[in-house]
Amino acid sequence: MAAAATEKSREWQLALPLTAFFALFFVAPLLLVIGISFQATRRMTGGLGLNQYAAFLGDSLNVEVLTDTLLLGVKATLLCLIFGYPLAWLFTRVSAKLQSLLIFLVILPIVTSVVVRTFAWIVILGRHGMVNDTIVALGLSAQPLHLLFSEAGVVIVLTQVQMPLMVLPLITVLQRIDPNLASASSALGAGAWRTFFKITLPLSMPGIIAGTILTYTACVTAFVTQSLIGGSRLLYMPMMIFQQAMDLQNWPFAAAVSVIFMISVLLIVALLVALSRGRAARLYG
Amino acid sequence: MPFPISRRHLLAGSAALAGMSALPRGVFAADELVAATFGGTWANVQKEILAPYFSKKSGATVVQSPMLATAQIAKLTAAKGGPAPFDVAMLDEGPALEAIDAGLIAKYDAAKSPNFAGLYPQFQGEYGPAITMQAIGIAYNPKTVKTPPTSWADLWKPEYKGRVGITSLASTLGLAFLLDINRLEGGTEADMTPAFKKLKTLLPNLAAVSANFGAHGALFRQNEIDIGVQNFNFAEELKAKGVPIEFVRVSTGTPAWKTTMHVVKGALKPDLAYAYVDSQLAPDVQAAMQKTPWNVVPTSTKVPYEGIVASKIAKTPDDLKKMVFFDWKKVNQGRAAWTQQFNREIRV
Repeated sequence: MAAAATEKSREWQLALPLTAFFALFFVAPLLLVIGISFQATRRMTGGLGLNQYAAFLGDSLNVEVLTDTLLLGVKATLLCLIFGYPLAWLFTRVSAKLQSLLIFLVILPIVTSVVVRTFAWIVILGRHGMVNDTIVALGLSAQPLHLLFSEAGVVIVLTQVQMPLMVLPLITVLQRIDPNLASASSALGAGAWRTFFKITLPLSMPGIIAGTILTYTACVTAFVTQSLIGGSRLLYMPMMIFQQAMDLQNWPFAAAVSVIFMISVLLIVALLVALSRGRAARLYG
Repeated sequence: MPFPISRRHLLAGSAALAGMSALPRGVFAADELVAATFGGTWANVQKEILAPYFSKKSGATVVQSPMLATAQIAKLTAAKGGPAPFDVAMLDEGPALEAIDAGLIAKYDAAKSPNFAGLYPQFQGEYGPAITMQAIGIAYNPKTVKTPPTSWADLWKPEYKGRVGITSLASTLGLAFLLDINRLEGGTEADMTPAFKKLKTLLPNLAAVSANFGAHGALFRQNEIDIGVQNFNFAEELKAKGVPIEFVRVSTGTPAWKTTMHVVKGALKPDLAYAYVDSQLAPDVQAAMQKTPWNVVPTSTKVPYEGIVASKIAKTPDDLKKMVFFDWKKVNQGRAAWTQQFNREIRV
């Protein structure tokens, strides 16, 4: 008895390696970034202050870039959800053989390098790319559409690239829903849509929230996709941070932009978590 | 036991590996130099010509790491005070001045570099030799652009609506283009207002503003842009690869800048670093690099201009002096503000 108790009380030690790893390679650099963001001058001569934050908020361009980035994430995440949910739902209803094929197709985007994938999209979306050739050949438009270097293009590519992050949590949650519940619902006279909105959708909410958080954070920080598909005329926060840190060597300002960006994204994630807690409390509480 | 390695061994082994990777670079590889290079043409030409020449001469090997000039400065700054992340830096004029100001590169000791004295005087920099001149002009697709362009003004022609490509100020190409537009509109490095005013009128013609160099080249390849600013070397290399692209100099004078090589301060292998830079200055190396598809403009007095370099860039060293140069010290002072303004003006 006593031995078991000691064993239990020492279980937390299993988390020590990960904690040490995180402290060293995540928390410490993060604190460094936060520290640098309070440096008053570019040369980091020691004076501290909120100058960098004031400089960011004082220019409307910066604030527009921040809102653009946050909205870009909303658009791509919504599209992921709209396309991903039926896919995840389908997954729970097909044979095991088809399931492994589906899971392979879902995971495929993550197994190729993001740079390669994005360059492939440049070929697909370009003025003489597959999509535009088809559109022109079908007579849907006389001129090739501007897909590359447009926000629409960035949203399309992000949706494909980040889809697994939405679909995988959805599959996990949808698989756990007892199929008897849907049967019971229809036996009691509810139609397919009503069953979906009253039973399946609410029960899959934790998956939707988890998928949304993962997809959203990945979309807003997708530096490669945003800069290659968007070009320089669409500016998002990751590119702005890169410009300041690498092109202009202005580390304090880059750090301040990073901290502001991180806080904004964290607030949105916190909102989603709160939403899921409220949901869970109502459903299961 | 099917698996001959015990858990203990595995743990010990991985711990040792982890410990080794934490050691500063250069502890094991005794004769390995780390040199920065640019991406694209430069990475290719230095891998094919410079690396073998250097290895033969010094008996050492070199790891060439492609990095933007600005990325090199960022890495050197971050490593200041510790072991340098690489021994040789390769920079354009603006970033080179910044690196000197920040104390990141050492003065170049000509005594350690026999080929240094063979360079034209304007290429014998105090902090490192110029290894070439880079020149920019207009590149266009001869299949879709029937009248060869002659000046920047051609980019503004209404027939090129939505077909022109430029790059952001992150590359010296984009920066030099903006500076030259500014010069022609009557501005100076201290006042870029004329350039930005003129840039605004180019917006309807722009198909793309590439965030970086690699993407810019890809756009010519994909026929995404038909005409745009381009670097002489990159355009000629694309052409040699079969991409339909022609490079022309603009009639108002060719903007150009020096590309330099430096031994970094705190280099782990200073002697090898000198041997490497000196190899880049060797007449044999420069002559080989001047050949197509590289067309690297030589800086050594012992290499006469030939081939495409002679027909398109310079027949005599005096031709190089007639190009358009900018005050990079002033450029460095204004760059941060211009980048922000550029972001603002070109935003969709």
